[in-house]
Parts: sequence; structure tokens; C-alpha cells
Amino acid sequence: MSDQKKTFRDEKEMPLSAVSATDMRWNKTGSWRNVKPYYDPKTSPCIAGCPAGENIQGYIELAKGERYEEAVRLIWQNNPFPAVCGRVCYHPCMDNCMRKEFDGSVFIPAIERFLGDYAIEQKLKEELPKERFDDKIAIVGGGPAGLSCAYFLAKRGYPVTIFEAKGNLGGVLRYGIPEYRLPKDVLDAEIERIVDLGIDVKTNTFVGKDITMEDLAEYSAYFIGVGLQRSRRLGLENEEANGVMAGLEFLEAMNSGKPVEIGKRVVVVGGGNTAMDVARSALRMGAEVTVLYRRTRAEMPAIEDEVEEAIEEGVTIRFLATPVGIITSNGNLKEIKCQEMQLGEPDESGRRRPIPKEGAYFALKTDSLLVAAGEMPDAECFQSVVSLNYGLIVADEYGRTSHEKVFAGGDIVSGAATVVNAVARGRGAAELIATEIQGGIFNPKTEKKVVAIADVNTAYFLHKRRATMPRSEGTHGNNRFAEVNLGLTCEEVQEELKRCYSCGVCDGCDNCWVFCPDVAIQREEGVYTIDYDFCKGCLICVQECPRGCLSVESEGK
Amino acid sequence: MKIVIEGNHALSYGAKAANVDVVSAYPITPQTQVVEKLSEMCASGELDAKFIKVESEHSAMAAVVGASAAGARAFTATSSQGLLLMHEILHWAVGARLPIVLGNINRAVGPPWSIWTDQNDSLSQRDTGLLQYYCESNQEVFDTVLLAFKVSETVMLPTMIVLDAFFLSHTSEIVEVFGPEEGAKFLPPFKPVDYLTPDNPMAFGNLTSPDSYYELRYKINKDTLRALDVAKEADEEFEKIYGRSYGIIEEYRTEGADTILVTSGTVTSTARAVVDAWRDKGRKLGLLKMRLFRPFPIEDVRRVLGNRKKVVVIDRNIGFSIGGIWAQEVKAALWNMRKQIPIFGFIAGIGGRDITPDVINEILDIADRLEYPEEEVYWIGVKDGQISYSRR
Repeated sequence: MSDQKKTFRDEKEMPLSAVSATDMRWNKTGSWRNVKPYYDPKTSPCIAGCPAGENIQGYIELAKGERYEEAVRLIWQNNPFPAVCGRVCYHPCMDNCMRKEFDGSVFIPAIERFLGDYAIEQKLKEELPKERFDDKIAIVGGGPAGLSCAYFLAKRGYPVTIFEAKGNLGGVLRYGIPEYRLPKDVLDAEIERIVDLGIDVKTNTFVGKDITMEDLAEYSAYFIGVGLQRSRRLGLENEEANGVMAGLEFLEAMNSGKPVEIGKRVVVVGGGNTAMDVARSALRMGAEVTVLYRRTRAEMPAIEDEVEEAIEEGVTIRFLATPVGIITSNGNLKEIKCQEMQLGEPDESGRRRPIPKEGAYFALKTDSLLVAAGEMPDAECFQSVVSLNYGLIVADEYGRTSHEKVFAGGDIVSGAATVVNAVARGRGAAELIATEIQGGIFNPKTEKKVVAIADVNTAYFLHKRRATMPRSEGTHGNNRFAEVNLGLTCEEVQEELKRCYSCGVCDGCDNCWVFCPDVAIQREEGVYTIDYDFCKGCLICVQECPRGCLSVESEGK
Repeated sequence: MKIVIEGNHALSYGAKAANVDVVSAYPITPQTQVVEKLSEMCASGELDAKFIKVESEHSAMAAVVGASAAGARAFTATSSQGLLLMHEILHWAVGARLPIVLGNINRAVGPPWSIWTDQNDSLSQRDTGLLQYYCESNQEVFDTVLLAFKVSETVMLPTMIVLDAFFLSHTSEIVEVFGPEEGAKFLPPFKPVDYLTPDNPMAFGNLTSPDSYYELRYKINKDTLRALDVAKEADEEFEKIYGRSYGIIEEYRTEGADTILVTSGTVTSTARAVVDAWRDKGRKLGLLKMRLFRPFPIEDVRRVLGNRKKVVVIDRNIGFSIGGIWAQEVKAALWNMRKQIPIFGFIAGIGGRDITPDVINEILDIADRLEYPEEEVYWIGVKDGQISYSRR
């Protein structure tokens, strides 16, 4: 404490106004504090929302600086399929975006797609692994889960062989998702980049038929990612009639360029993404399409955008209706008898259970009935090595099964889920497999705190309208199978990037430094520290941090 | 460069010519255009200053106090209720000796709501210690911004520049304006002695015992008095550079006059015409325009009024029960001369009512008729039985 006390003899000696005689740094005002702010950058909510854990905020920052190659390589660290997922993912990242309630979430998939396409256009290649290991690993199933697992193992330097039952890699991406949503050249380019890591691919090789489980014993480990291959049947009489077809079968024929006759009037059963893909594909073949779904729009499992686009294109959806009878003539489908439904009590999925409305029936004359009422596992051949539950392989989130050398992930474990889920499980299993082979202890990374909406100061957000993605012309004419969503231009992407607020991530804006009334914040090499000798705990820095990079704790904790 | 601008923009251009560093203000009719123009200037880079948006006038004044304490040249503007909300911080700016310049557009105080002019908002800040200039034309407004900073930064006290709502604020006139380079010839960069800086953190305005507070107040009074000479010198220097001068008061046709009309603000322009008309009729009437209210130019007022037969003061304001504020000040200034000069106090134009030549003639007729005022304060034009108002 300063003990200098000055007595003035004359007003002329005095300053104009009261001012301390000395520098005030001796007065450690930090002792007044009862709450304590601390520098605490967090994880952006978009990242927390991505099942694959893509560093969305990170690649957006790189892309803002037009560092597109670095940006896409950052995505590849978590997901080798940005061009695919930028098109088909259900983007939970956008549900978590802080702008959602402000002026609409950042259009993250459009940005991801742009970066994925950039890598394809620039023919960017993977960096080859620095280390090489001898432990051979087999991947059963060349869909998104298997390709993801193969990719991350190959990048670590493991020799990987993929066994694929069909003629080409891609699984549901190739045979399930139609061209107008995911062009084959885009898919091919991303798969090619993955395979170019030196992955050995054995197509037309059905494990359990073409090779046996015993043949896989020579591998140090294997990963099962075979997805769901069987369509659920309606269980109605005459389901074998001409004109009744499984939705997946129809899509596979379309995607393989095989001729398929569906006639003028088509009825599709189901409310998931497959049903939407089937309906929109049938529409493009010139048919009038009616979808029957037994619940209402709110309960539909399909991605909201897909439903929206299907309706815009002219698909009719009859909600609260289900087929109960198939009427044939000479073995050919003629008419479908339908039952009207109503919603009852919620079932185990939390959705209200559809129950028949007594006596309410109607009939639909139709040429085809395409059944997309769900897919089922076909994993009996693995029964000898791993435990199954209702046909699905039992495995934890990192793919560990009941067998120490066998790992599994994707839809065959989760049931019908998403592409990004399969990618995430494939990568998780790759990490676990690599760790187990090396004899290490598997210790998955613990995530940082996720920033909450209450942490960010939206007063600093400027309103800026989200980009809209241009669409192709329509479902008729020569280009009817061409891609619907056309992507954003580089300029549009740059404008959209500016909407990202990097929530939770410090960008060195200096607001805390500027606002601190006690000059108690110091900045060194982009990191802020608080001088607790002077911080009085007013928390203005916390309030004025636009991105929520400061947290508070009680004093003396 | 000559441009046609309203009085509010004359304040904005004045602040630009003074090369202010910080502007903080909250919009209020009839001041809004001052701030609009300055925010545009800051946004476009035409003026290299920080514009701080705030949520009230109290904060606006507090923000310029902070800026000024940190050594910046700071400007704000307000009106009426806004000025009243600033009141606490006006005292602070004076006690902290911060040379802030504040533009106030005279607007009547509510209730009832009024947006029209009168002087009660600014004159009721009499004892805050702000220096106060009253302007008659847009050119005078522009020039006074530079003069105000010069005086403020010399004596380290804030200044308020006052102009009438609408009669000046929204009326366009030709104004000779210039930018900061030309302004710097008269007004060099502000260099404070003590200021807030993290490099040398000092405490300001802290608790001060009776041992020192008294002297600090004494010093404010001393420097306020010094401001009279400083303002005169500044005016002379200004004239040398730019060729225009206003003085701290202005005498108009006072030579040989036995009655002097005392006015402030835009009424002065009307009064000039009335004085001309009376002079044409051979009447010995002159005009004293009060430009500086604080510090009050006692010696100059005594010199101009001390040997007249009558003094007639027009007040567009009211000190309830005692009369117009300018009249009170004039009476106080003349009292110790021990000459009993009759001082007629007239109230007119409150709440923006027009003060026409007829109103001034009526005032002068009353003063002319009487040897001594029969009432302490005359309200001119109060409706008396001939009221016609609409109930619509």
C-alpha cells in the first residue's frame, strides 16, 4: 500500500482534478473478486452435432481464407466422403448451429460439398502413410462403413482387403441412392481416392458363399459392414404378383442401368429415405406416383428436405394409409386395397402408433407396387463367430463384438441409420483395430466442452440470409435423371462462409481485452490470460465475448 | 467551400473540422441529423473518429467522458430531455476537467410533450459548470465548434453550444465549411497532461477530503473566469485565420442608444430588423446579443448597459415566479454598479411560439410607455378571452 500522502500548501500546486500521486498497480483490486472468469475456448456445436466429428468450424475458417485444399484435408481426417456427405447427409450439424433461431443455420452441407468437389476437380490425392505394418486386415462389405474403416486403416499403414458381394464398391451409396441425388462420377471419384491408398478390392465376392469365414482367419482382424440387404415384406397375399417389387431392388436396377417396367401408375409404401428415393425415381420414369405412409408427415423418418423435394416434384403422399390387400388378375397386379389409419398411443420409438380406422377402406388402381417399408439384416452367416440380436450384430460404438478379432459397424449393428453414422463407426473401428493390433490401450479422445447458446453473444451476429441452392429444371425431359441440387458457386460459398460465427472458438477479436475495465486481460500469441491481481470479477469480458470463449467459476473453488 | 446546410449539419461539419476522435450520442428530435451526419462520416472514413452507439444520453455523455479522460477529443450532441438525462455526467465532466464539446438543440421540456424550441433545457444546466455559447446562424454554429474546443482545451472545462430547434437546427443556410486540415491551423491536436492509460495506471476522481475539495472547486471557478479572456483571444485568432468574428457578446447599433434590447439565439435576427425600424424612426434603440452565457461576461455587460436609461430583456425561458433567466443574470450583473437602471423582463416564444417583429414591437412599446417596470416579469401574448381552439 502506498503511504505517500501529499499536503498542498497552495491551490497552484494542486492538479486540476483529483488524481493519484503514483501509479496504482500496488492496489491489487483482484481481492474484491467473488467470481472468476477464465479463458476457455470450446467446441463449436456443429462439430458436436456431427456423428463423424468433422471439424466444421475449422474447415470453414480455412475455406474463408480460400485455403480449400487444407480445408478438405481437414475433413478427410474424419470423413473421406465430403462430396458424398455434402449431398446426402441429413446434416445434424445444422440443427445445432447457433444461427438456427437467429436467421437460419449456416448451409454447412453446401460448403462441405463445395470442398469435396474441389478435391475431385483438383484431383487431390491422399498422403501415403509414413509407416507400414504387416498385419493384414479384411473388410467385409464395401459400403460407407467398410470403406471408411478401410480408409482409416490404410492411412495408418495397414494392408487392407475389401470383400464386396456386388460388382462395384459403394454399397447403398451406389445401389440405393439415385443418380439425381448422388451422381456416380462423384461417388467413383471419392472411392477411387480411397482405393488409391493401396487397398486390395475383391468384388463379386460374397463372404459366406464365395469365400468362407474360415478363409478370413488368415487376417489379423476383420470388420463387418455389410449393411441391411433384405427388404421388409408387407406379408400380404399375392405379394409375389407381377408388378410388386421391393424398393431396394427397384433402385438397384435403376442404379445399375437394368431395364425395369413399372407402368403408368405406381404406388410406393413407406415413409423413409428409401421410399422417397423410390418415389422420385419412379416419377422420373414418367409414372404418376402415390406414396402410402401409415402415420403423418411429422413421424416420417425421411430427411425433411427429401420429403419437401418429392412433394415439390409432384409425388402425392397419402398419409395415414396402409395397404391391406393386393388384387391381381392372371398373376398381374391390378389394384391395392388400402386401410385408413389414425394415430393412437406412442409406441417404444416415441412416435404415435398407427391404428386402423374401423371400416375405412379405399382402393387404388395401379400398375406397380414398390415396397420400401424398411430393410432387414441378413447376417446369419456371421452367427458362428459373433453374437446376433434380432439379426443385427452385437457391437459397441467402436465396433467391438463378442469375438476379439472381429469388429462390426454401420447398419448391420445400428439397424437402419445414416451414411454419416456408418462413416463414423467405420472410423471408430479402425482406431480400435489399430490400437488392439499394436497391443495398446484404447482410449478414445475425450471431447472438449461444447459451447451453449447462452455462452455466445448474438448481439454481435449480423443478419445475413442463407444461400439457396439452385435446382435443376425438372423431373421430365432428357436431363430428368441429372443431379437436382446444383451446388453453390465459389462466390456464393464465400458469402455463406462469412455467416459462420466460429462459436466457442477464439479468433483473437480482442473484445475481452478492449472491454476489461481493469486492463486485467493480456494477449500473447493469440491466447488471452487474465491477471487475477486486478480482475475484479465483473464478468464484462464473459458477456462481451461474441463466441463464448470465456467461462466462469466461483472464487475459491 | 460554401455549402447549403441546416444548423444540425453545421454542428456535424464543425466536429469534422475540429478533427474529433470520438463521437457518442443518442438520437432525439430535433438533434438527430447531427448524429446521422457524423455516423455517416465515421462509417465512410471521411472523419477518422470512433462512433460509439449507446442506449441513452446518460451513456452517451459517460462515453465521451471516458474518451476524453483517455485523452481523446470528444463530441456529443443532444436536446431537451436528453440533456436532462445527462445532467449527472455534466457535473462529472466539469469536476474531472474534461474539455468535451456538446451541441444542444434548444427544445422545450415535457410534459406536455413539445419538440419546439425554448431555452429551459440548456439554461437549467446553469450551475453544472459547462461553458455555454448561444448561436444565431448556421455559420456561427460551425465556427463555434472550433472556438469551443479551443477554449475548452485551454481552460480544461467542457462547453455546450446551443442552437434553437427548427429555427436553426432544420433551417438551411449557406455555410463556409472546411475540413480537419484547415481546422488544424486554429485548433492543434489535443494534448492532455494527465490521462487514462494502461501504461501508467493512475486513479482519477477518487475520494477527496474537505482538505482539498474546496480548492479544486475554487480552481474551477478561477478557470471559468479565465475562459472570458481565453474566449476573446480565441475569437481574435479565429478572425485572423478565417476572417470571421463573433466576440463573446455583440453590440448592434448601441451608439447613443438609451434603451438596449437584450436577446440570445435566433430572436436576435428578428430583433436586428426591429432595431433598424426604430432607428429609422429616430428612436435611440440598440441591441445586445448575448453569445456567452457561462462564463457570464459581467464586465462587458456592465460596459454596454451600465449607462443606459432602460434595459429590455427577452427571455425564451422561464424561472417560475422570478422571471426569465437572462433577465435575472443581467440584473445580478448590474446590481453592484449601484445605478438603478430599470430592467424590463419579458417572456416570449416559450414552447416554440413565434417571436415576430410585432411581438418585439409590443415589448418595446410597453418599455417605452413606462419609466419603471410595474411588474417583475411580463408574459407577452398570453391568450386572454379570445381563445379559439379546436376540439377536433
